[in-house]
Amino acid sequence: MSTAPAIVVRGLCRTFGTRTALAGLDLEVRPGELLGLIGPNGAGKSTLLRCLCGLVQPDRGEVRVLGIDPAREPVAVRRRVAYLPGETSVYQQMTGRQFLDFALGFYPQRQPDVLAELTAGFALPLERRVRTYSAGMKQKLAILATLGPDLDVYLLDEPDRALDATVRFFLRDVLRTLRNRGKTIVLSSHHLSEVESLADRTEFVVGGRIVPAQALARARERLAHRLRLRLAPGTALPAGLRLLQKESDDLLLVETDLPPLDALRLLPPQTLLGAELGVVRLEELYQQLLDASAEPQP
Amino acid sequence: MIARKTWREVRFMTLVYLAILALMMVPAVLVWPDLYADLQRPSAMATAVGSMGDFLRRAMDALRNPDEDFAYLNYMALQLFFKGANVAGIAAAVLLGTGLFAREREAMTFEFLLSRPISRAAILWHKFWPCTLAIAIPIFVASLLAVPLSERIGFGLPIDRVLWCSLHNALFVLMVFLLTVLASIRCRVQAHAAFWVGGFVVVNLAIYFIPVVRLGSLFRLSDFDWYGPIMAGNRGPWQLFDVWHHEGLTSWLLLANLCLYLLAWRELRKAEL
Repeated sequence: MSTAPAIVVRGLCRTFGTRTALAGLDLEVRPGELLGLIGPNGAGKSTLLRCLCGLVQPDRGEVRVLGIDPAREPVAVRRRVAYLPGETSVYQQMTGRQFLDFALGFYPQRQPDVLAELTAGFALPLERRVRTYSAGMKQKLAILATLGPDLDVYLLDEPDRALDATVRFFLRDVLRTLRNRGKTIVLSSHHLSEVESLADRTEFVVGGRIVPAQALARARERLAHRLRLRLAPGTALPAGLRLLQKESDDLLLVETDLPPLDALRLLPPQTLLGAELGVVRLEELYQQLLDASAEPQP
Repeated sequence: MIARKTWREVRFMTLVYLAILALMMVPAVLVWPDLYADLQRPSAMATAVGSMGDFLRRAMDALRNPDEDFAYLNYMALQLFFKGANVAGIAAAVLLGTGLFAREREAMTFEFLLSRPISRAAILWHKFWPCTLAIAIPIFVASLLAVPLSERIGFGLPIDRVLWCSLHNALFVLMVFLLTVLASIRCRVQAHAAFWVGGFVVVNLAIYFIPVVRLGSLFRLSDFDWYGPIMAGNRGPWQLFDVWHHEGLTSWLLLANLCLYLLAWRELRKAEL
């Protein structure tokens, strides 16, 4: 296998009117690597994936996919790269099978075993018109059409959208199989724990940039000292716990300088009805990262 | 792939459009003997029509010509091409063209289509030519059907003249179709594309019926003054392609179609999702 990166992105910038989607993003993906992209809505994940397959032209910066510039040779890139759009894109008037034949007809090579596994696992009624499908079924069909061709790189924009947990786990197994075959996969998602358990590497995209590892570690560290506590009515917070926000009558967001478990011991017995520790809410992590990116750099 | 899919989508509309053209043509042919008899009498209708502009007076005069064979040829120029193919053809062109790209955007399949390993030029071409067939074939078929039907009421229609008129008419309708495709590439919603093109057509139709500004109307390129002389045998096919004279409009229509196609390609190449 080639040791050259499958994907190289340097200083990628793209704006849409006054909105900055990508602000000097840098990224490298090794061949056969499964990279997870996590980030809030509007962070630039979809624009990045679109730039990688030549659907969006960058304003500045360098992009190479398998050594090819997608802005100059988009068709050459798309012959080797499959892309699953973030919005479910299927033709409503076709039957599932017609759509699949149409979508796969653009590629000379297919992966029959992957197609068979996905078809069996998804259990789609392929003879029915797509317009009668549920949102989840349409997403499954779009995934089938994307993972069916035998290509080198798969770019998946929120593949787990509209899928229930069982199907998400099944899809995770299929993606692992592809990765084990040496396929390069980049996927964006909002399910942090699932992406972290699947991907070889997870990158956070915030404000059109990849968050540096140190900044991410700092944000996680800061959040590790936050606790969400459900307390018996009338319980006063002991010293060592600072109230950040009262989310409801009995649910408080607090911060502590102590190790979280030690902080819980400060509460009088039987007043603690429940507690959440660490990074349990992704949006809090995003907010931390946004706040950190807004701070002046040393 | 895309061409087959496009053809599958438009084939039913093509049949309906052909049926409409044929249905408009059949009564027009069959009513001729009675109509011609009526036209020989100076009537209030003829006077009223004449006051709308010189072009209608010329048409009425041609229809009232003492030589009924000559009058019938002019009548068919008016019915087949100025009325039938123009009206039904433009309706079909707008219907087919507006959905070509704007509907893909609305259905969110535009991104899927553009992310296939095929160039945007190829996407345009594979969508364009099935629609071109869908637009042109009914014009030719319906016009040719008028030939045997005319024989049933004792009139002859020269096939070559019918074919030349059909060619010019198909190019005119194709031009409207390409304008519609341009609007479809630029608009995010099919109804918006239909609104702009529909508005443009209606304005041109309104201008056509105002004598002072009539020359500025798009319909001037495909009206009775154009088809009448060809059907009557006063304008030969070589004149249709004589770019240096007014009669050579067919070649200019061809050129306009080429330019509009290239413009559509340029628009699609830089189209955002």
